Amino acid sequence: MTTEHKDNSVAEMLRKFLERNRHKTVFLEHEVKGLLRELGISTPKGMFISAAESVPSSHALAYPLVAKVSSSKITSKSEVHGVRTGLKNIDELTIAVRELMHIENAEGALIEEMAPQGVEIVAGGIIDEQFGPVVMFGLGGVFVELFRDISFALAPLKKEDALHLIQQVKGYKILTGYRGRPQTDIDALVKVLVITSEIISTELIREIDLNPVVLYPDSAIALDAKILKGEV
Amino acid sequence: MNLDYLFNPESIALIGAAHTEEKLGGVILKNLLRFRGTVYPVNPNYNELMGLKAFRSVQEIPGFVDLCIIMRPANEVNAIFKELKGKTGCAIVVSSGFSEIGNTGPQDELKRLGREANIRILGPNCMGLFNPHKNLDTFFLPHERLRRPGKGNTAIVSQSGAILSCLLGAMQSSNIGVSKAVTYGNAIDIDESDLYEYLAGDAQTDVVISYIESVGDGRRFIEKAKKLSGKKSLIILKSGKSQSGQSAAFSHTGRLAGRYEVFSSIIRQSGISEASDLDELTDSAKALSYQRPFKGNRVLIITNGGGSGVLAADECMRQGLEVAELPDEKREKLKKAFPYFYGIHNPLDLTGQVKDEDYITALDELTDAYDGFMVIALPNVIGITERFPALMKNFRMRTDKPVVSYMAQSGITKKLTVLLERSKIPVFSSPERAVRALRTLLL
Repeated sequence: MTTEHKDNSVAEMLRKFLERNRHKTVFLEHEVKGLLRELGISTPKGMFISAAESVPSSHALAYPLVAKVSSSKITSKSEVHGVRTGLKNIDELTIAVRELMHIENAEGALIEEMAPQGVEIVAGGIIDEQFGPVVMFGLGGVFVELFRDISFALAPLKKEDALHLIQQVKGYKILTGYRGRPQTDIDALVKVLVITSEIISTELIREIDLNPVVLYPDSAIALDAKILKGEV
Repeated sequence: MNLDYLFNPESIALIGAAHTEEKLGGVILKNLLRFRGTVYPVNPNYNELMGLKAFRSVQEIPGFVDLCIIMRPANEVNAIFKELKGKTGCAIVVSSGFSEIGNTGPQDELKRLGREANIRILGPNCMGLFNPHKNLDTFFLPHERLRRPGKGNTAIVSQSGAILSCLLGAMQSSNIGVSKAVTYGNAIDIDESDLYEYLAGDAQTDVVISYIESVGDGRRFIEKAKKLSGKKSLIILKSGKSQSGQSAAFSHTGRLAGRYEVFSSIIRQSGISEASDLDELTDSAKALSYQRPFKGNRVLIITNGGGSGVLAADECMRQGLEVAELPDEKREKLKKAFPYFYGIHNPLDLTGQVKDEDYITALDELTDAYDGFMVIALPNVIGITERFPALMKNFRMRTDKPVVSYMAQSGITKKLTVLLERSKIPVFSSPERAVRALRTLLL
């Protein structure tokens, strides 16, 4: 992984990405993830198959795999049953992809290596009416849904700010090896938050959502990502 | 940027002065009669108002007027304002009927006129200010209806005039003195950030309490609030906590980012204190205006009722304050000094057989062992007498550590409270409120 990113280089790469995709109103998941990887955020190994293509008989991905429908018109993949997990071999993969392509408005499918269990968090950025670019951090799953255990900070963040932001949530202990759970890679999480904050503080986009990012003892991987276009 | 024309004027014109206290313009004029400076009532229909020479218009007033108060209907305000060019340094626009009812056009025009004429504007839709050090009071509230607090070290900055009046009443009854009290309404020019900046440099102000409905420029607000709270105590109460996130569908972040959540999270991370409600705001103001903060979190609870002591200890736990056991050697000493049935722990229980002096015996022994003291007196037993406040006063003079008190209602509570608060020991009406106030003085 690359280490430091300068503010202007994030803005530069984002600008190029928006330029490349200027004809699009919505970005597909693999496009956003491609951008994130360029900026230094890890995502699962994967490949995109367009609706016109079929599953290649050989590929470099390790089973088990997950397949997700890709469409600029579908906002919630789970609502249209557009996610297949735990695919163990080429036959299961081929059937899953064929089914996904039949979903209304499907433009393709994203196939990725299944991420092992870890601690889920949410990172995001918005342009707030009062404060301008703001970054959000929250623990994933029930913590964010049920307890709204989230915190916000002014973007862009320095590393210390990001660490401070992480420590604000009530469930912070979950990240540091609570009750025998493995400790998570706080440095990697800090990096994800710093980059997210730099993306939103360009004000070239309106919202960014990395949900979830899974934390492991030695890495952080963004499993899903969205960007809402539109200059502020 | 200087707000001296607003806070420390030598001369004031009241446009819309009235002859009777039946009218708001008359109430303001009556209150301005106390002002230590020149007052010019403006009303084209009178030669004299409440004993002062009245002027047909601002133009007729000789020379420069530091501060003008406009108390006329919204549709007349901009025409009046145009006459102020070169004549004044600051205008308070009391009139309502602008953006708060959706009437933004005239308000934008007023803002432009102010910039053009280089006149600072407070309001519109505000009550102006109260500066007891100058006997300056622009509120349209008669003194019979709202007794003003005395002079003191606490400033109130309130977006709402009505909340300001509630806070003034609460401060008056809590024996908290005021340095400045100001409302800024629709904030087309002077806003909370400007006021924080001014108060940061105001020698008479040590504590600022601020009621906010919305902030315009959030980044500037954070910058000024941080600067102010670095120098003085600042406590903010924000209303509008239930507003939900702005963008419904697209992202989790957008859905979760309610205006209040973002506000609260950011001020917390900037180290700025937030009160959760009006009670907490006035309780914190009371504690901070009476005493200096002290770094530490170890609290001694001393009580003559077990239950109240435990409730206080529970609240300490919730507030992150430590109720540590007495040091062994102190325990041994106090055991010898007190009857065998006293509970020599923390909370220290002096029981219903307490005597006034017992509090002092214990406090003197334990002053060095703790950072703050929570003194619970339930004065419905005969052992607590009118000597108690004087003894507490002496103890208070021997330490610079925070001391707060909870006192239950009894026949002599009012009397004891007045005496304790005169010696700057704040008294609260529940153990939990007292502990929360102590918390603002610690950590």
